Amino acid sequence: MKNLYRFAVLFAFLAVLAFTTTSVAVDKIVIGHPACLSGKYAKAGEQAVGGIKACVDWVNNVYGGVSIGGKKVPLVYKYYDCESKKEAVTSLIARLINSDKVQVVFAPYSSGLTLRGAPVAESRKMLYMDHGGANNKIFQQGFKYVVQTIGPATRYHEGTLNMIHKVDPSAKKVALAYEDSEFAKMVMVGAEKRAKELGFDVVFKRTYPKGVTDLTPLLSAMKAARPDFVLGGGHFEDGQLFNRQMADLDINVKALSLIAAATLPAFYKALTTMAEGVMGPSHWEYGVKYCKAEAKRIGMIWVGPSQDEFVRLFKKALGKDIIPDYHAAEAGAQVLAYVLAVEKSNSTNSDKVRKALGELKFMSFYGGWDIDETGLQIGHSMVDVQWQGGKRVIVWPEEAQTGKLYYPMPTFKEKAKGKLAIP
Amino acid sequence: MVLEQLTGNLLQGLVLGAVYGMATMGLSLIFGVLKVVNVGHGAFIMVGAFVTLWAFTTLGMPPLVAIPLAFLIGMGLGFVFYYSAIKRLIKAPELASLLATFSIGILLEEIVKLIFGSEFRGYNWVVPKIDLGVTVLPMSKLYAFIGSIIIALLLYLWFNKTRAGTAMRSVVEDTEGARVCGVNVGWVYANSFAIGIGLTVASGVLLTMFIPVGINPYMGGGYTLKAFVIAVLGGLSSPYGAFFGGLVFGLIENGSYTLFALIPGVEPFALTRFLSFVMLLIILLIRPTGLLKAK
Repeated sequence: MKNLYRFAVLFAFLAVLAFTTTSVAVDKIVIGHPACLSGKYAKAGEQAVGGIKACVDWVNNVYGGVSIGGKKVPLVYKYYDCESKKEAVTSLIARLINSDKVQVVFAPYSSGLTLRGAPVAESRKMLYMDHGGANNKIFQQGFKYVVQTIGPATRYHEGTLNMIHKVDPSAKKVALAYEDSEFAKMVMVGAEKRAKELGFDVVFKRTYPKGVTDLTPLLSAMKAARPDFVLGGGHFEDGQLFNRQMADLDINVKALSLIAAATLPAFYKALTTMAEGVMGPSHWEYGVKYCKAEAKRIGMIWVGPSQDEFVRLFKKALGKDIIPDYHAAEAGAQVLAYVLAVEKSNSTNSDKVRKALGELKFMSFYGGWDIDETGLQIGHSMVDVQWQGGKRVIVWPEEAQTGKLYYPMPTFKEKAKGKLAIP
Repeated sequence: MVLEQLTGNLLQGLVLGAVYGMATMGLSLIFGVLKVVNVGHGAFIMVGAFVTLWAFTTLGMPPLVAIPLAFLIGMGLGFVFYYSAIKRLIKAPELASLLATFSIGILLEEIVKLIFGSEFRGYNWVVPKIDLGVTVLPMSKLYAFIGSIIIALLLYLWFNKTRAGTAMRSVVEDTEGARVCGVNVGWVYANSFAIGIGLTVASGVLLTMFIPVGINPYMGGGYTLKAFVIAVLGGLSSPYGAFFGGLVFGLIENGSYTLFALIPGVEPFALTRFLSFVMLLIILLIRPTGLLKAK
C-alpha cells in the first residue's frame, strides 16, 4: 500500500512536471495568416505580408525575440495565399490551427473576408487579429477573440469633415455617395452623423452597387444637388471611376475625398492631373510624426522600429524598392501588439493574450493602439492626405501635417490644362 | 429638373448602349455560327482594354488608332484558340465548349496579370467636352459611340455584300447544305470565331474610351454578365440584334435610375440592376428568341 502511495505521488509529480514543461517550454511562436496574395486584394495583401515580415524581422533580430517563460523565443510567420476568396479563408484558417498549430491567426484583408474567417477562429478559441477589416459590425457579433488594429469604418471621414468645418465655414452642403458594401455603408453612417453634428446639410445621400462600371446616372443626380464638397468611395476600382466620371461630367466641388482609392499611388497613375487636389483618409502615411519622443511626451509605451527602420525592413522583406502604405503599417503594428500582449501575459494561450491585449495601450510607428471591450480599435487616429503635384501630402490633422491644404480643389477644366494643386 | 436629368441620362445611356451592343456582337456571331457560348467573353474585352492602355501609355497612340490594332490582335487570338481548342469541340457536348471558353478566359486573365500585374490602371486622354445643357459629353464618349455604329455597319456590309459573308450566312442557315454547295465550312468556322474575337477585343478599346479607368485583368466579369443579358435581349445568334439589344439595355440602365430615384426610401442603382435581370427573365419567358428574331 505504501509503495502504491509512493508510486501515485511520483506519477502525479511527473505528470505535473510534464504538463508544466509543455505549457512553458515554448521554443517559437507561430503566426498564421491566410494572406491575399492573388485575386482582387492582391495589392493590399502583398503590402500586409511585407509589413508583417518587416515587424517579425524587427522582433527577432533587433528586439531579440519574444520574452516568455524566462527566455526569448523567435516569431515564425506561416502564411498561405487565400486568393482573396471567402471559401479559401475558412479552410486555410482551419488548416493553420489544426495542422500548423499556430498560436495566433492574422485575418486576411477586407471586412468581408475578415468576417468570414472570424467564426472559424472563434470556434477554436483562437486569437484572431484584424488588420484589414474596418467594418464596425465585425465587433457587434459577440466574438471574444477578434482584436482590431485598423481603425473602425465610422471614423474614416470624421477628420475630413472636421477639416472642412474649420477651414471653410461657408461650405455647408455635403454629398455622400458610397459603395453598397458593409464597410463603405458604415463609413457613410459615421460621415452622416459627424456632418450633422457639425451643422452640415447633407444634400445628397446614395449608394452604388459593387463592381459598378458606370456611375453617370448617380453623379448626374449628385450634380443637380449642387454640393459644396463630396465624400464617398468604397474600394479602389470604383474610386478611380468616381473621380474620372466627375471629371467627365464637369462636377466641380471645393473638395472631394474618396476612401480606400485616393491614397494609393495607382490612383494618381491612372488619373494623372485629374486626381490633383483629391483627398483620402489614411490609417498611416510615410511621413507621419509618430516617434519615441512623441510617445514619451504623451506618456505612452513605445515599441517597434522607427518609421524609417520599418520602411527599410519592408523593402528588405519584399525585395522591392517601394514605400509601404497603410496596409503594411497596420499589419506590422498588430505584430507588435501581439508580442507585447504575449510578454505581458507570459503565455501564448489565446484567452490570456486576449485579456492582456484588452489592457494594452502603446504607440509605434503606426501611431496609437488601444481597444475597447469588444476588440474595436479606439486608440488610432487617421490622417487625411491630398494629391499635390503628383505627391501625397498629409494635410490633416494639423499636428501631423507635412504640407498645407490646397483648398478649394482646382476645377476639372483647370486640371485638364495641367493645373496642379500646389499651395 | 427630373425631365432634364432623365433626358441627360437617356443620352448617356444611348451612347453607352451602342458600345455595349458592339461589345456583344462578337458573342452573338460566335454563337450564331459555331453554336459555342463564349463564357470567356469578358476576358477578351479586357485584352482590348490593355491593348489601348499599352498603345496609349507606351506608344502614345490615341485610342481611336488602337481599334484596328486591337481587332487584328483579337483575330490572331481567335485563330490560335480556334485551332488549338475550339475546333475539336464544335460537335462535342455544350458543357465541353463552356468549360473550354471558361478556361481560355482564366488563361488570358492570368497571362495579362503576369505581364501587367493586378493593379487597377487607367489613362488620361484629354479631349474637349460638349455641353448639351442636360448633360456633358466628352468627345471620347462620342468617338466611341460613332466608332461602334461604324463597326456595326461594316459588319452588316461584310455579311451581306461579300462572298465570305454570304458563305458565313449559308453555314448559319444550313451547315450541310453549305458544305454540299462547296463552302469550306471549317474555314468559315475559323474565320467567324476569329472575327467574333476580333470584334470583342476591339470593343474593349471602345469601352475604355467610355471609361478609361479600372483596367485590370479581372475587369471582364461584369461585362460578360451584361453581354449575356444583351445577347438574349437581341436574339442570341444575331449580331445586329445584339447591337440593338445593347442600345435598349443602355437606355433602360441609365434612364430607369432617374425614375427609381423618385421612389422614396429605395436605392435606385440597386433597382436598375434588378430591372435588367427581370427584363432578361421576361424576354426568356415570352420571347426566348430575342426582340429582333422571328419566333
